[in-house]
Amino acid sequence: MSEILAALGQIFVPINIIGLIFGTFIGILIGAMPGLSVNMGIALLFPLTFAFQGIGGILMLLGIYCGAIYGGSISAILLKTPGTPASAATTLDGYPMAVKYKQPGRALGLSTFGSMFGGIFSTICLILLAPQLAKVALQFSKPEYFALAIFGISIITSVSSGSILKGIIGGVIGLFISTIGIDAMSGKVRFTFGTTYLMGGLSFVPVLIGLFAFSQVLATMEECYKKPYEKYDVTINKVFPSPSDIKRVFVTLIRSSFIGTFIGCVPGTGGDIASFISYDQAKRWSKYKDNFGNGEPEGIIAPEAGNNAVSGGAMIPMLTLGIPGDGATAIMLGALMVQGLQPGPLLFTQHASSVYAIFIGLLLANIVMGFFGFSLIRIFTKVINIPKEILLPIVFTLTFVGAYSYNNSINDVFVMVFFGFLGYFLNKMQFSMSAIVIGIILGAMAEANFRGSLIMSDGSLAIFITRPICAIFLFISLLSLLAPLYAPFIKKLFKKAKA
Amino acid sequence: MKKRILLLGLVTALVSGAMVGCGGQKPYPKAGDVTVIVPKAPGGGTDTAARGLVQYMKPNLEGVNFVVTNKPDGGGVTGMVETAKAKADGYTLGLVTVELAMFPHQGKANVTFEDYIPICAPIAAPAALVVPADAPYDNLDEFVAYCKENPDQIQVGNSGVGAIWHSAALAFEEEFDVSLKHIPYPNGTADIAAALTGGHINATMADPSSFKSQVEAGSLKILGIMADNRSAIYPDVPTFKELGYDMTIRAWAALVAPKDTPSEIVEQLRAAAKVTCESEEFKNYFANQGIDPQAIIGEDCYEMMQEDHAMYGELLKKLDIQ
Repeated sequence: MSEILAALGQIFVPINIIGLIFGTFIGILIGAMPGLSVNMGIALLFPLTFAFQGIGGILMLLGIYCGAIYGGSISAILLKTPGTPASAATTLDGYPMAVKYKQPGRALGLSTFGSMFGGIFSTICLILLAPQLAKVALQFSKPEYFALAIFGISIITSVSSGSILKGIIGGVIGLFISTIGIDAMSGKVRFTFGTTYLMGGLSFVPVLIGLFAFSQVLATMEECYKKPYEKYDVTINKVFPSPSDIKRVFVTLIRSSFIGTFIGCVPGTGGDIASFISYDQAKRWSKYKDNFGNGEPEGIIAPEAGNNAVSGGAMIPMLTLGIPGDGATAIMLGALMVQGLQPGPLLFTQHASSVYAIFIGLLLANIVMGFFGFSLIRIFTKVINIPKEILLPIVFTLTFVGAYSYNNSINDVFVMVFFGFLGYFLNKMQFSMSAIVIGIILGAMAEANFRGSLIMSDGSLAIFITRPICAIFLFISLLSLLAPLYAPFIKKLFKKAKA
Repeated sequence: MKKRILLLGLVTALVSGAMVGCGGQKPYPKAGDVTVIVPKAPGGGTDTAARGLVQYMKPNLEGVNFVVTNKPDGGGVTGMVETAKAKADGYTLGLVTVELAMFPHQGKANVTFEDYIPICAPIAAPAALVVPADAPYDNLDEFVAYCKENPDQIQVGNSGVGAIWHSAALAFEEEFDVSLKHIPYPNGTADIAAALTGGHINATMADPSSFKSQVEAGSLKILGIMADNRSAIYPDVPTFKELGYDMTIRAWAALVAPKDTPSEIVEQLRAAAKVTCESEEFKNYFANQGIDPQAIIGEDCYEMMQEDHAMYGELLKKLDIQ
């Protein structure tokens, strides 16, 4: 108890609170800008933490971390342009609700509520279950990572509304893209055509900006030609989700938060995977399955709760084991060490008050994030009211700025434009962008861990069946892949039983 | 009218010529920003080292303004090539990493250490032999004996085939005439730490600073470090050299200038780097982040790059990577 009081004493110093609020606000802006990633934001503001005494700088980084994951959803919903890869899944239902049904306030309110809930839920998990979850995460070896990746890839059939075949083709395109570059398992280079640029693989963020933002600009431009200018006028009555909405999404909220926390605490995975898996599970268990992809509230809340829940989850291995789960927590680990706090099992006994301060700081960051989110919704939604003739050139310019600034590379800009046109035509042919994105995110993970497992087992495939966690994940993936085949039979059976 | 335009043009040319002249007359480095190209993404080890170095070097080089630019694409090669091709006037510097000594032998880069003039290397992380604390071996000799008893069975984690920590394991195999099982972890040392702590692999030969908290918590132990001198972070761990094996594997990052940079500018930079690397604030900055700071200046740095280039040329021949 005295430690908690000491922790509160560390946090409630004006400069620390200002740091936290400033960090969260900057984080939201960074997240909302396509091309500026969570990691980049944290890395660039990291030197500022030296200026703080004690825990203050860490609080600022926590604020950026939470804010940036949330911020990505704003542009995903209003512009169909995910600000960060973690928000790609949010475009699926967020954009239709905001633009097609003219309810941007409702969409943003749901995403803010989901993000805040997911963040707080995962922080509570972090406080209560950190040692246990860390133990489970440590059980993950290469076969389990492979099974997790396959589980993720099996989602393609559910996010690709319409043709499953086109979803699979999209997924294969994504998998192919993920093989470009130096192959870490053999050291050889693949599909680079002798260029240096492709040696590191295609950068994911420029591809994402091209597929979503640039192609969307092209599509909207086309619409502008066809239709005469019509003025949208969206007024927002309230920003907080209605009780009926909350009731409708509550189970999804809990499920997604748990998925996000768990994915977060497995090192090497992150918000992009968590949001897609949450979306898929929400759709699978929903009463309103057919409404997904068409502005379904659960389809917004699931990925947003899922990706923000990663924040608390990722802190678990970082704090308890000293193992950072992603780039953002790796930089935070450095920041903690600069303050003389060495993460690991000893941190909890030697610096208990600092650990509590981080816990409380993460809670506060999520609350501040929600506060900013809800109070800024009215301003954000003005974006919808901007005439397309003015908005389009701005987004158009931002796609170039974002693609360039990610790696300071002009080649990334060419890649972005290429994938922009590709995305435009694939969209016309009703291919799913999400399937491609899932392929890119999970392709490298699936391949490297499959081949790594076989090295470990001297080539025996039995390694995937004899390990329980791995076998269970693979079994569930198989079930979900084959669902379209056997689902009608089960439905028939149920109907018979009822009758 | 024509005359006036001509005049206007002449005056513009004259004035801008004069301005350029002024710039030239100012002693280095006052005439503009000095760009430092970092061939890795923000937040990684190389980036941290680069930003730390220029931050503490700034006061030692009057009037300079360093601008760090990250160019991580192409696996880091693009950034290094750009530094090599930059105008050699001291206003573009760059970081190069140990990959510069490895990639040319694998056909992955067409630049070598000879394309640069080194200023200093602030970090050179050695490879350390790290094993779980409950492993049945407590020193290097016991580990080697265990490897000989179980050929091709000891699973050693590395950061990708053909990358630095894989090379460390290859060099280990050659030195001790053993055969190991190499398990790649392409995302880097954090994943190796997780796999070691979880008991999925038997050992790794990698930068010991990535395993500090696990070693302190007693779940991992370090049997030896492949370096000439003991690490400031682990003063109790013996070096391979002390144990009688001359092995040096180090992941360095060096601040360099393009090849033809005038020598007086290079000297000025080296002098500033020397003062910086030997200062207490600088050492503390790195030590606080669990990194062992180095002060490898000028010609020493060139020698290190040259030695490693030759060593990897031999070592990577064994590996079929083209």
